[in-house]
Amino acid sequence: MGKLLEVKNLEVSFQTYGGEVQAVRGVSFYLNKGETLAIVGESGSGKSVTSQTIMRLIPTPPGKIKNGQILFDGEDLVKKTDKEMEQIRGRDIGMIFQDPMTSLNPTMKVGHQIMEVIMKHQKLPKSAAKERAIELLRLVGIPMPEKRVNQYPHEFSGGMRQRAMIAIALASNPKLLIADEPTTALDVTIQAQILELMKDIQKKTGTAIIFITHDLGVVANVADRVAVMYAGKIVEMGTVDEIFYDPRHPYTWGLLASMPSLDSDDKAELASIPGSPPDLTNPPKGDAFAPRNPYAMKIDFEMEPPLFQISDTHYAATWLLHPDAPKVEPPEAVKRRLRKLSTNYPQPIIVRESE
Amino acid sequence: MPEKQKLIEVKNLKQYFPVGGGNVVKAVDGVTFDIYKGETLGLVGESGCGKSTTGRTIIGLYKATGGEVLFNGINVHGKHSAKESKVLKRKMQMIFQDPYASLNPRMTVADIIAEGIDIHGLAKTKEERMQRVYELLETVGLNREHANRYPHEFSGGQRQRIGIARALAVEPEFIIADEPISALDVSIQAQVVNLMKKLQREKGLTYLFIAHDLSMVKYISDRIGVMYFGKMVELADAEELYRNPIHPYTKALLSAIPLPDPETERTRKRIIYDPSQHNYKEGEELEFREITPGHFVLCSEAEYKTYQSMYK
Repeated sequence: MGKLLEVKNLEVSFQTYGGEVQAVRGVSFYLNKGETLAIVGESGSGKSVTSQTIMRLIPTPPGKIKNGQILFDGEDLVKKTDKEMEQIRGRDIGMIFQDPMTSLNPTMKVGHQIMEVIMKHQKLPKSAAKERAIELLRLVGIPMPEKRVNQYPHEFSGGMRQRAMIAIALASNPKLLIADEPTTALDVTIQAQILELMKDIQKKTGTAIIFITHDLGVVANVADRVAVMYAGKIVEMGTVDEIFYDPRHPYTWGLLASMPSLDSDDKAELASIPGSPPDLTNPPKGDAFAPRNPYAMKIDFEMEPPLFQISDTHYAATWLLHPDAPKVEPPEAVKRRLRKLSTNYPQPIIVRESE
Repeated sequence: MPEKQKLIEVKNLKQYFPVGGGNVVKAVDGVTFDIYKGETLGLVGESGCGKSTTGRTIIGLYKATGGEVLFNGINVHGKHSAKESKVLKRKMQMIFQDPYASLNPRMTVADIIAEGIDIHGLAKTKEERMQRVYELLETVGLNREHANRYPHEFSGGQRQRIGIARALAVEPEFIIADEPISALDVSIQAQVVNLMKKLQREKGLTYLFIAHDLSMVKYISDRIGVMYFGKMVELADAEELYRNPIHPYTKALLSAIPLPDPETERTRKRIIYDPSQHNYKEGEELEFREITPGHFVLCSEAEYKTYQSMYK
């Protein structure tokens, strides 16, 4: 499988009155054709900024891409002019936003909003565009698309609006679909429908998906690979099995342990992560997670951890993997999930030295 | 186990909203349940099913269209003297969903928390008032330096703690928490839920916990009620509900929750609920019936028999 997208050492900052907020601090990852990468993290971790930077939707100023490359199909999106980006946005990369209530134009018929994309990028005449719009509405599972195409967003329910959003994003057969918390505003039953729909469409069209969410249940459902972000960095990345059955970073442990399990009758106190995320105008020295990390060692407060590779696909940035680090036990809730994965290397290898 | 004492009795509660043209929305349509002292009752359902309206009507934010709510035997919606009503308001408090919208941005944290203390005259002197505020801040895991700050200086999780401190200030017995954690980050949700559990242990509080995050609801609740279109369709012990869901809607809801386990997700079979699947005949009475002790389901007489034979 070829790489569709490769992000290398991306740094994005925002100028504010309070100083420069370093929202994304050196993020690198790749995405293969037709696969789904989930980016997990809490608010302020930089997951949305990362995806919006790929779309070049960051307002500049105050935002600024300070460093790095975004290679999409071999071309660097960072260097593109705004005019060139207009051609790529919507045609090669589609985006689904969190809030279907506010991201559709309330004064335009849903059909028109889909046709706009088709007419702009595929240069189809209006009548053909309308037919394609109806076809797309049918694809995303909206009943009676011939009638729905002439309706306004307020006539759609929340789940239906999100389907319409997906139809717009899919209108020009994008190679990459970025979904920023697409189901967070929806009910569980509707969420399940939308997730099924997205997987189904991926099977049919072969589009790659970046799925941004904070819900680990959703991640387990949709993702092939997972990147865990904290304070503007990817702290752990691996296949979905590696992240859920063999997590290595204490932040990933914390996330997994803080979710109550539906199967267990355990009423013991939830293992919460103490404190709150750091202020990125002034990122802490060393490992940004150290102040909230019960496993933090002295070195965590002084030096940033190196990046370790645990298998061909599994990376984690934590001092705990260093050969000199003491052996620690993950929290109980995580220990219950652990499995021996045969793909692991005998020893984690340092792939990026600490800075 | 000590004898369970009813704190809240909700009897055939109805809340209709006129929507113009003589139409009404039956947001809550005949809901009956009890909440026992010291327990947490979870209320789940999709948006628009009436779970928030139920909470708001219980506390008296809306005038009920029909039915009654008894708090310690006193009718919340009935006529009472000024003194009675004040006691009632003190004993029942609410924590809201949106920690950004539910705190007055122009009041300091101390004033927000102490508003109830002032109204109910719970502190005799200024010093005593501040002492109470400091104690409350510490109870919810903040510190006394926070008292003179304004809400915008706090994160979402901290604001929710302020909301909890405000609710606790008047020493309530019963707290309605309407989606108290859904606006918070995952790592912060656990902190707030742990805090609520700790306060319940220490102060013997009773909670009505309204949420759509079913795994959290299961974790915090002793019993859970499932609502669908203004009706309660199932009510049971938390464990029992998850292990033996009876109503087809509950089954559908449970089958839709994504679990943080890739293997179960790969083999997930979703059940889809279609209200017409019941095939109710004309004139069939739907009632809230007890299938096994403590496990209630909204069903017809015929369904009741089938369910009973299935779960005996």
